[in-house]
Amino acid sequence: MAADSFLQRSRALYARLLRLYPTQFRERFGEGMEQTFADSCRRRRTEGVGLFGFVLWVFAETIVAILREHATRSRRQVMRDDTVRFLKTVKYSAIAVGVLMVAGILTVMFLARGKTGDDGDIAGVVAPALLLTCVSGVVAVVAAVRQKRAQRRVVHP
Amino acid sequence: VVKNVQTPLTPAVLHILLALAREERHGYGIMKQVESDSRGKVRMGPGTLYGSLGRMLEAGLIHESEKRVDPELDDERRIYYGISALGRTTLAAELERYSDVLAVAGRSSRARSAFAHGS
Repeated sequence: MAADSFLQRSRALYARLLRLYPTQFRERFGEGMEQTFADSCRRRRTEGVGLFGFVLWVFAETIVAILREHATRSRRQVMRDDTVRFLKTVKYSAIAVGVLMVAGILTVMFLARGKTGDDGDIAGVVAPALLLTCVSGVVAVVAAVRQKRAQRRVVHP
Repeated sequence: VVKNVQTPLTPAVLHILLALAREERHGYGIMKQVESDSRGKVRMGPGTLYGSLGRMLEAGLIHESEKRVDPELDDERRIYYGISALGRTTLAAELERYSDVLAVAGRSSRARSAFAHGS
């Protein structure tokens, strides 16, 4: 009778302890953990092995696991933020390079206006600048897409 | 050469893969099997077990099966876990790594004893 009451109280307390897990983790594994805890306690009681020490050990082990889950979650959040920040930098740098190249091409075209012969031949300057503009555009688009994906990615608990 | 496999595995992950290699099991079933496989030397609490299961699911080493009742326990429905193809490959790679380590250890031990007898 006393063992039953202790088991019930321990199970209720364990369910409360599980609330300290990150929400996603708790929603996914909370029920299974409660069942596993209850099954283990029942087996120990059937085998006539002491319950108190086992319950204490499980509580301590679960507290450590809760701390570990929170630490993992924070680390992933930081990594995701770093990735997003890096991709943002790449995107804006590529846009800046592209804009500078276009401005440079327009300036060269403006300066070469009306000139003839070698002075008017701007293809050698404009062609690489155009290529760089295209590359910058592609890099900016890729970085923007990857940034969106990184922001959408679900952070696992 | 096995590709896309990350070894060495943590002891908890290795034991869980071993427990699931034979059949699908629920959380408590895995716990019991690990204890029995290790002859009581490895004791895994629910915190370590489910933390590892979460990471293994994420890595694609195991999969969740539908909820069902364990006929040996009560009438509560439980989620069963099974090993995936990647899990089997990973387990095989890890066991191969262990056997290589044992072979090296065996050779060193023989070399040591030969040296001891010789001197």
